[in-house]
Amino acid sequence: MGSSSIERSFVQQLQENQNLIHKICRLYTNNEDAHKDLFQEITIQLWKAFPQFRGDSKFTTWAYRVGLNTAITLYRKTKRTVNTIEFDNTLHKINQDEYNYEEEEHIKLLYQGVQQLNDIEKALVFMYLEDKDYTEIAETLGISEVNARVKMNRIKGKLKKILNP
Amino acid sequence: MDELDKLKNAWKKEENTYPKFSEKDIYAMLHRTSSSIVKWIMIISILEFVLWLGLSFLLKDNPGAKDLDSLNIDYITTPMSVISYGIILYFVYIFYTRYKKISTTDNVKTLMQNILKTRKAVSAYIFVNITYMAISTIILFIIVFNTHAGIITIVHKFEKDGHLLMFYLVAFIFTIVFIGVFVLVMWLFYKLVYGMLLKRLYKNYEELKKIDM
Repeated sequence: MGSSSIERSFVQQLQENQNLIHKICRLYTNNEDAHKDLFQEITIQLWKAFPQFRGDSKFTTWAYRVGLNTAITLYRKTKRTVNTIEFDNTLHKINQDEYNYEEEEHIKLLYQGVQQLNDIEKALVFMYLEDKDYTEIAETLGISEVNARVKMNRIKGKLKKILNP
Repeated sequence: MDELDKLKNAWKKEENTYPKFSEKDIYAMLHRTSSSIVKWIMIISILEFVLWLGLSFLLKDNPGAKDLDSLNIDYITTPMSVISYGIILYFVYIFYTRYKKISTTDNVKTLMQNILKTRKAVSAYIFVNITYMAISTIILFIIVFNTHAGIITIVHKFEKDGHLLMFYLVAFIFTIVFIGVFVLVMWLFYKLVYGMLLKRLYKNYEELKKIDM
């Protein structure tokens, strides 16, 4: 494969699976500018790591590992966060027909609660929301499975506390 | 149903509400420059190597060093130069091999460890350099005091006046203060630059270690 066809194949796969990256940005940023900034950094890191992607694992499995690593470790938060737009009112407005106002408010509060967690806790929450099992969560973070479970339970407790002070 | 499961339901419904970047947008992103901390560590580390190398050339060319040449102490300055270049080569090699190990496809903890190890190679380099500088300053200090004609005359003058001890004390204190100020400036520089760069990484690394304790 020539270098331009490799690039094309990468861009196509990323374009098709971009939701995964948006989800990571959703948890690790709180405004549109920062979201785009992190998305871009993850894209650059994915492209850099693409030569090592052998296709023996799924593109998404590989991409979410690189994406999480970028969000937690590599990404330097830029100071361009002056125009703080509440995300829930812009990009992620949930369809009014599906949710009643009270539920929507509760979900909004839940997201705000998750925003208050630290970077590692957010990673655990992200993988939980993505239905990853504890073996994979533990392996991705480099911790033991038992401790991943214990930590997850603590996070649930912490969220409850944040929401019901 | 607990809070997180409620969030999971909402999370799944959100699936189609994310912005969609076109292939053209993604192409454009590929060619932008990264602002990752690994890139910054690489840049700062190269600057440090260059700075120290530049400093050693600068010190070689100054009048004081030329004065040293006239003392014919090649038997000590040549091995010292060899050692200092050896130190640079060794640490550039260590830095490079560690840097190559940094991979975003490793697990979070391993990635953090590899970044910190790379960073530590440069810190060790600076530490070895400062130690080397302190030791070589003391060695040259002793040699110059014993062989430099001009200084021997001054020493004799102080000896005659009965202030020899005072002279040595002042010279000693001056050297210590010079080294002390130098180390302090380096330390402050480190605190500032790496404090800003690695604060979040250290915090997250500690958090991961805490989970596994």
